[in-house]
Amino acid sequence: MEKSNRLNAKDLINVGIYTAICAVICCAVAMTGVIPIMMVLLVVFVPILTGIPYMLFLTKVKKFGMILILNVLMGILMWVTGMSFYALAVGTVSGLIAELIYRSGNYQSKWRGILAYAISGIYCWANYFGIFFNADAYFATRQKFGQDYIDAVTRMLPPWMCPVLLAVDIACGIIGGFIGTKVLKKHFEKAGIA
Amino acid sequence: MEYKLNRDIHSLLDPRTKLLLLFTSSIFVIGTAGEKWMSVFYWILVFLPVVLLFVEKEWKAGLISIAIYIGSFFAQRALQHDLTMIESVFALMLFILTKILPTVILARYIVMTTKVSEFLTAMNKLHVTDKLTIPISVIFRFFPTVAEEYKSITDAMRMRGIEMGAKKAGEAIEYRMVPLIASCSLIGEELSAAAMTRGLDVGKKRSCIWKIKFGLFDWFIIIFCFACFIWWGIGRFFV
Repeated sequence: MEKSNRLNAKDLINVGIYTAICAVICCAVAMTGVIPIMMVLLVVFVPILTGIPYMLFLTKVKKFGMILILNVLMGILMWVTGMSFYALAVGTVSGLIAELIYRSGNYQSKWRGILAYAISGIYCWANYFGIFFNADAYFATRQKFGQDYIDAVTRMLPPWMCPVLLAVDIACGIIGGFIGTKVLKKHFEKAGIA
Repeated sequence: MEYKLNRDIHSLLDPRTKLLLLFTSSIFVIGTAGEKWMSVFYWILVFLPVVLLFVEKEWKAGLISIAIYIGSFFAQRALQHDLTMIESVFALMLFILTKILPTVILARYIVMTTKVSEFLTAMNKLHVTDKLTIPISVIFRFFPTVAEEYKSITDAMRMRGIEMGAKKAGEAIEYRMVPLIASCSLIGEELSAAAMTRGLDVGKKRSCIWKIKFGLFDWFIIIFCFACFIWWGIGRFFV
């Protein structure tokens, strides 16, 4: 096959597959958000668990645009499933940054890959924007959850938590990426998939 | 599969109309934009997917969804008083269910009645780039596959005695995720090979055997969707 910088069907199909896997994992984890404490811990679990498929995805990335497309698609999925459009906006920007970081290592560097994963994963953090910036509207649609739930969530998420959550998200992204590379080495490289 | 030369699209609506409807539904039903002001449109959007199911002769799915609607309506009436903790968790689940269900029904309807080639052609007519449409069509094809693979892997792991318990949680996750991702990635290779043989890579304009164009019902739905947005805009900015 000739070397070209245009994305071909194989790349696009790979993007689709890994987006689907990440989305399924995200969705499974996000279901636990009905418990107030889990709502906050989503920012821990989602980056750690999606790390494994994402790092495998990064081994397939050799051309510009694949990380960006994955992030845009995750953002669209988040929007359609009713989280918020913030995820799409933040995801697009962070995807672009992650793409540039990973490209600067010629799509091979392991540490740049982990960093790129941590950066691109902040669409997860963007889902909390609704609570921080537009709290009344956010809870108006969740009135039926009961006042206990609203109190519990607001108590755990005062405004200063916003940057903290971002830091936690990126830290967990790095941990997740690291676990991802470990798993990659242990299982997938042997099997010849990575 | 019957082979007759019928080039009419086999479902009632055009793929573009279905996507517009999904978009509208996700904003006004899940996102609850407009609240009370939109309630008439809200209820139409809730019941339209069921009507569509009946049009496609999906009697069983349609009846089940109506049953869930009625059940959740009475359950919500019963939960109007001050809630205890357990009740509020229950109310929360119910709330999520009733919010998401119409859109889930609609999404399922779209996935079941739209062929991938139809979807690609319709998107092509909207001038959406291939770089987004190919991954999206793969995602839709892939959700059932991931679920199926996950189910069989869970069965296999149960046979080996690796349960999803608190003990050895890391191991339990690893032993599920790794086979899942491995098999999905292999299926992906096959999928790319299949796409290659169908000439997805050629870069020429692709033809489609189905006639993709708007019919009478499409226009009804499109006008309805735009009416939703206009009515919401009036409520938002002028009242």
